[in-house]
Parts: sequence; C-alpha cells; structure tokens
Amino acid sequence: MILRLAWRNIGRNKRRTALTLAAVVFAVVLVVHMIALTTGVHERMIEDNVRMHAGHLQLTGAGYLEDRTLERFVRWTPELAAAVDATPGVAAAAPRVNGFALLSNGSASQGVALLGVDPVREGGVSTWPERVVRGAFLGTGEREILLGERLAEALRVDLGDQVLAYTVAYTLENAYELFTVRGLIHAPEPRLERSLALITLRDAQALFAYEGRVSEVALLARDSSRLDETSRSLAAAVSAQSREPLDVNPWPVVMPELAQLLVIDNAQNYSMLGILVVVVAFGILNTILMSVLERQRELGVMLALGLAPREIFRLVYAESLLLCGLGLALGLGLALALPAAVFMEGHPIPIRGDVREMSEMFGFTPVISWQLTAWNPALATLLMTAIALLAALYPAAKAASARPVDALRSL
Amino acid sequence: MARALAEFARSLVRASTWRLALRGLGRQPRRSAIVLVAVAIGLGSLLVAMALQYGLVAQMAETAIRTEIGDLQAHAAGWKDTAPLEARLLEAESLAALSRARELAGFAPRLRGEALAQSPLASVGVRVLGVDPEREGSVSTLSSFLHEGAWLDAPRRLAIGAGLARRLRVAVGDKVVLAVQDVRGDLTGEAFRVAGIYRAPSRELDEAVAILRLDDAQRLFAVAGEISELAFAARERGALEAPRAEVARALGPGVRVETWRELEPMLDTMIALFDQIGWVMYAAIFVAMAFGIANVLLMSVLERAREIGVLLAIGMPPARMVAIVVTESVVLVALGVAAGFAFGFAVIFALRDGIDLSAFGDGLRAFGVPTRLTPVARSGDVWAPLAVAVVTALLASLWPALRAVRTRPAEALRKA
Repeated sequence: MILRLAWRNIGRNKRRTALTLAAVVFAVVLVVHMIALTTGVHERMIEDNVRMHAGHLQLTGAGYLEDRTLERFVRWTPELAAAVDATPGVAAAAPRVNGFALLSNGSASQGVALLGVDPVREGGVSTWPERVVRGAFLGTGEREILLGERLAEALRVDLGDQVLAYTVAYTLENAYELFTVRGLIHAPEPRLERSLALITLRDAQALFAYEGRVSEVALLARDSSRLDETSRSLAAAVSAQSREPLDVNPWPVVMPELAQLLVIDNAQNYSMLGILVVVVAFGILNTILMSVLERQRELGVMLALGLAPREIFRLVYAESLLLCGLGLALGLGLALALPAAVFMEGHPIPIRGDVREMSEMFGFTPVISWQLTAWNPALATLLMTAIALLAALYPAAKAASARPVDALRSL
Repeated sequence: MARALAEFARSLVRASTWRLALRGLGRQPRRSAIVLVAVAIGLGSLLVAMALQYGLVAQMAETAIRTEIGDLQAHAAGWKDTAPLEARLLEAESLAALSRARELAGFAPRLRGEALAQSPLASVGVRVLGVDPEREGSVSTLSSFLHEGAWLDAPRRLAIGAGLARRLRVAVGDKVVLAVQDVRGDLTGEAFRVAGIYRAPSRELDEAVAILRLDDAQRLFAVAGEISELAFAARERGALEAPRAEVARALGPGVRVETWRELEPMLDTMIALFDQIGWVMYAAIFVAMAFGIANVLLMSVLERAREIGVLLAIGMPPARMVAIVVTESVVLVALGVAAGFAFGFAVIFALRDGIDLSAFGDGLRAFGVPTRLTPVARSGDVWAPLAVAVVTALLASLWPALRAVRTRPAEALRKA
C-alpha cells in the first residue's frame, strides 16, 4: 500500500518529478561515463607501460628494486625458465640484464642504460621489437647494438657504425666492448630515447661477467586482473628452482610513480563525483520536502486516523527511493544506450595538440578509450541509493512528526 | 520581437521587478534556502577541490624549478642534439657578460656529464652535476636538501642522494671513484670522498646524480674554464621575457636561452590543461544544479498562477513577466554563488598552511611533490564559475518563465 501511495504522490506534480528525474538521470549518465572514461584511460596507461618495458610482473633477486645493482640477480637456468613458462597465468617471460655503460664514438660520449635482452623472448613481453624504426631488431649476430634515434644522433653514428661501450662488470673490473649499430629505436620519451641501448642477453652476460645470471625476468600475465594469484603461483614455482631468494613484484611496485599517478587521478574523479552527488541530493531533498509540506493536511488526516508516524516515515522514504530508482533505471538505460557508449566501446578517440604531446612524453598511446565494467552501474546504483536515503531523512522526519491538530487547522 | 526585448531590458532595471522577484523567492524560504545551500556547497567544494588539484601541479612545477631547473637556462646552441660534453660555453666570459644583468635574481654556472660511480661494493651509472657552491644557492635549493655531512666544503668531495648512497653502499666519508670519458675521448677517473648525503624531492636526483664542485668536474672531464649550462633565477616567475632577452643579449649569438616551460614542456602542458579541466568541472556541477533551480522557479510560478494571472489580466507586458522570473533565477544563483565563493575561499584560506600528505610521502616524492599540499586558487576559479553560473541562471529560468507567460488569466483566476 505504501508503494502505491508513494507512486501516486510522485505522480501528483508531474513537472516537478520530471525535473528531479532529469537531475538524477544526468548524474547517473555522468557517473557511468566518467568512470568508464577513467577506467579506459587508466587501463590503457597501465597496458602501455606494461608493454613498453616493465611487464605485469617482474621476477628479480631479493631486494633488487632497492638498489638496482648487478649484486642482485636471478640465475636464469633452463630449469628456472621451464618452471616460469609452465606457471599457470604466465603468458610470456623475458629475461634481461640491466646495466649501465658509457657509449662513445670518438670524443662524443653518453651514459646509457644498457639492456641485455633475449632476442626471441623479448617480443613476447614488451614492444621493443616493434619500436625499431630503422635497421632490424637483435638476432643471432654477435656484438650488435640498438640505439635510440636521438642517442645515435648525439653520438653521430648510423647503421653499421661502431660504438665503444665502457662499463664496470659484476666482478668490479673495467669492461670494454665494441658494438656494431644494427638498428635505431624510437622511444616515446625523448630523454629515454637518448639514454637507452639494447644488446643481446648473451653479449650482456659476457660484457658484465654475468654468466647464467640476469637482473630481472619480465612477465606478461594472461589475465591482468589476477596478478596476485599469478604472483603466488610463480613464487611457489621458482622457489624450488633457485638457490638465492627471489622477489616477484607486480607492476605497481616496479612503477610506483604510475601507481601513484592513478591514485591521485582517482582521488580527483571521486571527489568530483562526491560533489555532484551532494548537489543532486539537495534537488531530491527539495522535491520531497515540498511534496511533504504540500500534503500537511493529508498527512495530518492519516495520522489522526491512526497511521503510525513510522508508517509516514516509511511512506516518505518510499517516495524518495522510488524517485531515485526511477531516475537510476532511466539514467542507466540512457547511459548504456547512448550512441557514445556503444561507439566508444572499442573505438578509441585519437587526441591531438598539447595533450597528445604530453601523453607521448608520458609514454601513452594518445587516444581516449572507454571501458565499461560492472563497477560503473554498481557505483551509480550505490550513489543513488545513498542520495535517496540521505535526502529523505529531513522530510521524512518532518512528516512523521507532524501534529494532526496543527496540520488540520493550518488549512 | 524587438519591442518585447526592449520591454524585457527595461523591466530588468525596474525596482518593482526586483521586488516581485524577491517576493517570489521569499514565499517558500525553506525551498529557496535549500537550492541556495546546494549551489553554495556544490560550488564551494568544487572550488576547494580545484584549488587543491592546481596546488598539487603548481607545487610540482615550483619544486622542479626551485630544486634544479631554475627559471631560465642558457646552453650552447644545438645542445639538445649532441652528447652532454659537446656543447660548452666559456665560464669566465659568460660570467663577465652577465655581471651587469639587472633582471636576474641570481645565476649559476654548471657542468653536466655522465660517469660510472664505483664503490668497493657496487657500480652505478650517474649523471654528474658540477656546481659553483657559492653561486648555486642563488638559483636552486639543492643544498637545502642536505641530510647528513657537509655541502661540498672542500675540493675532491661530492654530494649524493640517499638513494645513490644506498645503491653504492657508501656513507659520509667513504670514497667513490667516478669513471668518465673526458672531452678528448679518453677514459679516465678520479676518487672523491662523500662529503654529504641529501634527500631530494625527485627520484632521479636521489638515486642517480652525483654533485661535485665545478672546478673538480672541469678537471675530471678535462674542460678547464668551460661550462655546459647556466641556470638563472628571475626576479619574478611570471615575467620571464625581459630577463630572457637580457641574457640572450649579454651572451650573444650561439647561445640558446630557454624558460622552464620550454625545458619542461610536460609541466607546462599539465598546468595549461587545468584551465580546460576547470571549465568541464564547473559546467558539470552547474548543469546538475540547473535542474534544482528550474524546479524551484517552476514551483514558484505555478503557485503564483493567480497572482500572475491578475498581473497579466491588468495588462502587464509578458516581457516583464519573463524579466521577473529571470531576475528571480539570477538572484537565487547570485546568492548561491556568493555563498559558495565565501565558503570555498574560507576553506582555502583555512588550509593556507597546507594539508599534511606525509602518509603518501614516498610515492609522491618521486613526482617532486612536497609532503604538504596547499590549495592555490587562480583567477579562472572566479570567472569560470561566474560565467557558467550566468548561463545556468538564464537557462534554468527559461521553462518557468515561458510557463508563467502562458498562464491564461481567466483560467488562473477561476481556479483560485
């Protein structure tokens, strides 16, 4: 009966209800699309970064991330490789040696991060092979090197030229080697492109006196939403194969800056949604309160006839919930049916201008993508329920505390 | 149409229009108050949120500028396309040319290079920064981050970040060998003692930079009397063109002078993006509020159907009726916006000492974010919501105003 009464009350002033509904619908559409946009952009940022270099997970010697020196290593044995490859959830694994070297050509010299990569495995995890703009990726050749385009320019070398690498090996002895430039790579960030060179894992192990060792094994997971599970099975699988203690680090630990950036961005978005919710809640409060005040007499009669104040309270709550529920249903329907949503899913929009430049510098594909998850409608539902409950509090209390005598006399 | 518009404009300035509008709002003070509070809270909290976000970006930029970059930098032309040691300037000549610069608060010569830092236990690639300990303080705050030991107090000393000390496993007083390729292409090296360990607000500075005295760096790289960079502090952050022109004139052709915006385009873009984000945010909030405002106006118009009917019946021009409803909307929004500004700026003022972010500490430090966040409001935070509010007030009153004009006097009177 309460529902029927509530329904009738909502229908009493159709214009007012329509305007209130419009506000709720607007809020729901905004919530769903804002979160879908954020999720889409974040997922792409994560995926870009993961695929650019880091991988979803990294297997390293214990404490490697603390100092990133050659002192911490993983013994990359065929048994360990087999154990990693056989771990459920691991899609690909790429062992790497992370060193530093001074590269020079005559008097031009530049310090670089010198990465030793497995030419066959690397492409399974990162996009390095696709980033070769001239020449070719590393293969079976010996003492070949890939340079960032800007690095080659600074060193004044081109394909086929030689550069001298000078470094300090794992044994802390000086090490030198001449490499032939096999290809030039493009990295999104100009500074990165100037300070990066790739050689084969085998050459790196020879240069750094690092036989059988690697600094990290970057892993691509089959399902990026189940990294915890994959981490655990990986840790269990490798512990039997390694004498030294190892760490398995997920990408947020490997790239804390990215993880933090996403947290800050989320904080901004959710504070914005919070403000929106408050504004809409006031709109609902006003509608319900007006409808209660208009019905003073009617409510007074109901109370006089013996309806418990609790029932009145419930009635007002039913109105509020009904209004929000209706708005929610309309809003969700509209949000999901909006041509934008249908189109955006799977149609990233390219961005231009300043923002494009910035996202390229950050290393992101310059597109806006959209990703709808079950979380969006769930969040919208949660927020609207909260609005309905909060907004009805004052009018409901007001209605329930009406004194029949006053209410009847006032007319 | 033109007549109606003229009538509308005339009505807006009439006292009676305002009186009627205020009476309309005062009819249900509780209802008007709720909308007012909604506008005030929505606008006020958005102001605070925007100021906090901008404060974060502004502080990141400020930290980057103050820590190392400076307002302006000068390099030999073409420095971006060559190896670090290839583009050099003459130290004495440059300093002499700048001695009479009046637009600058300070300038500091630097030499940049790269080295392999070696301790008995580890080897790490580092960026070498040679600074003049006396002059550097006039541009950057590097020395203020000193955590342990002393700041380059004697020759053959270096200062490193706590992160680099950890990677090399060295402490104050330990020896570190810097192996480099000097300007002639010879591989060479020299031992330095760790004089001080600093804690810098950026991961790179903390983990991969070694700071030396300029003369030590010049000897190490065999570039006596030469520098690779001049960093400048301007008198005013906002006015960089005059000092830039002055520096460019003093140093002559062959030298490229750039502002921090050009040196760090990412920071610049992030700040520029804020104006666009601001518009979207304020617009979204005001659209949400427009429904509430329209609702109140419409209710007020419907309740006054009789009054409006009478007014129209005795010959009030419809344009004036529209003016009354529009005025009602404008007054409501204006009061809400005023309260919102008061609320928002009061909170911003209350937070002027910053919010403690040390709980986030380490992660944020990598961005160069200090551990206290201070909200910073800009002129855009005043005029963007004002512009959006005016549009909102007009749009929200559209339907109620038309509804009022369409009131048919006879019906309105009969009903009552």
